[in-house]
Amino acid sequence: MIAIIRSEWLKLRTTAVPWVLAGIALLINALLILVIFLSHDNGNGPNGGGAFVSPGYTVPHTTQQLRNLVGSGFQGYILALLLGVLCITTEFRHKTVTTSFLVTPHRPRFVAGKLIFAAIAGAVLAVIMLVATVIGGGLTLAARGGSFSDMIHQLPAVAPGMILVFALFAILGVGIGSVLTNQVAALVVCLGWFIILEGILVQLVHSAEKWVPTGAATAASNLTRGRGSDFGLFNWWQGTLLMLAYGLVFAVVGSIILTRRDIT
Amino acid sequence: MPSAIEVHGLSKHFGPVRAVDDLTFEVPEGRVTGFLGPNGSGKTTTLRMLLGLVSASGGTATFGGKRYVDLKDPIRHVGAVLEATSFHPSRRAEDHLKSVAIGAGIPLSRVAEALDLVGLSEVARRRVGKFSLGMRQRLQLATALLGDPEILILDEPANGLDPQGIQWLRTFIRYRASLGHAVLVSSHLLSEMEETVDDVVIVSDGKLVLQTTLAELASRAGTSTGMRIRTPEPARLTAALDAVPVAWRQVGDHTLVIDGATPEWFGPFAAQHRIVLYELVHERGSLEDVFLALTHGFDAADPANMGNGPAGAAPMPGGPT
Repeated sequence: MIAIIRSEWLKLRTTAVPWVLAGIALLINALLILVIFLSHDNGNGPNGGGAFVSPGYTVPHTTQQLRNLVGSGFQGYILALLLGVLCITTEFRHKTVTTSFLVTPHRPRFVAGKLIFAAIAGAVLAVIMLVATVIGGGLTLAARGGSFSDMIHQLPAVAPGMILVFALFAILGVGIGSVLTNQVAALVVCLGWFIILEGILVQLVHSAEKWVPTGAATAASNLTRGRGSDFGLFNWWQGTLLMLAYGLVFAVVGSIILTRRDIT
Repeated sequence: MPSAIEVHGLSKHFGPVRAVDDLTFEVPEGRVTGFLGPNGSGKTTTLRMLLGLVSASGGTATFGGKRYVDLKDPIRHVGAVLEATSFHPSRRAEDHLKSVAIGAGIPLSRVAEALDLVGLSEVARRRVGKFSLGMRQRLQLATALLGDPEILILDEPANGLDPQGIQWLRTFIRYRASLGHAVLVSSHLLSEMEETVDDVVIVSDGKLVLQTTLAELASRAGTSTGMRIRTPEPARLTAALDAVPVAWRQVGDHTLVIDGATPEWFGPFAAQHRIVLYELVHERGSLEDVFLALTHGFDAADPANMGNGPAGAAPMPGGPT
């Protein structure tokens, strides 16, 4: 299995996918950091007081503000999802799956390799975004008179949950991609669900919120914050199991479909 | 001779179409087996069933008793070159091979060796998207050779190769067989293969027509049909021939065909009559003629034959190309 994972990493890094995704992730991250600082400057923050506030109040300083800053890359989980989708659908798009199946003819094993690899790759993406935030956000914070060390202190509360959520979304991506091997179809379904449909569903049926993937993932992100059922969500390990279940159910269905599928 | 590949009762149905129908044959070690049949006769589907890419509707295909999917690190035992296999266009040739080698636990030193074997060392760092059809074919072969397998399965490997490439491929296939390896190579042209193969498995309409040695097939074709002679003095030759009990006909101003004659008879005969010869050809029925007769000359890819095809006018749904 380690061989498959190493092979997957080589396959992924020799395409544009990880570099484009990481680039987008960092760009979004930088914009979000900018927004955090600008919004405080505009006096719209919790302690906002117009244009002439003293510098100490224009930068994140409360625990929640600092956590928001550290976790500003959190929305990048959608990129971890896409990473998972692309890591399997690219094989079908470019027909490299023939060679992959010759190397690994047992197809559930092929899917399992992708799942484990994507989980690691998703976690790495989260780490990259956290490091970028600490450097970019931290420098901005320090330059604006905030406390860099206060921010670093919030890292243990935010980072583990974010890493976990990214890994879970990457697993879900592989699962969806194993069922919908058509790359365009898989991407459309993923973006359609997470950007549009899920929000509509939650609006219509409030009780669905804790059951949908984003709700489960938000619960999972509370890993080290000790918050459980706030906001009507599951606690972190229930959320984690639910997210994992979504990913694995798709992956099992995908493995069954792939095992029956003729590669011509 | 031990069998490297055993195919027993193998079948594949696409709906009502029997693309492969109860096929049984063996591929021995140390020999090159030609898998021959017209386009659409089920060759590609059969090879893909051997490799676990297409599921069989019935029967078995095994390598030393094991199905491909049950082999441990299969590409170290069986190397395959298939049609319609592709590469990621932005991946370099070397990286493609590395990813396969790592996945199968093959030492990375084999990557350079395999590239060298197929003559792609110069373009190892080039992206595969820029490769020509022939180069892709060579890269596929390099992929098949990575694990130094004792069995090679090649589906129409000459496609896309230039004449030198084809010559090189023949030499290469013979070399693998000389190492004691088994080679199964498909083609729709017997003429392309007759210098390369030891045995032939001929299929038509998904059914086995004949499994035999090339020598046996050649002996079917080899019944002498006569001599073709070109001479500057045809009048003297015909006069001499009229004195002996042979049938002849003149096919050109200076060319005659003598039925049933052999060079051993005609050579001395011409010398005895002091007739000048420009050309002396022993004409035999060609292997290709035998092959066409065996497969009824049916070619499913030929639109003119579509009406005779197993699925009527429609091509096989999801079937092989």
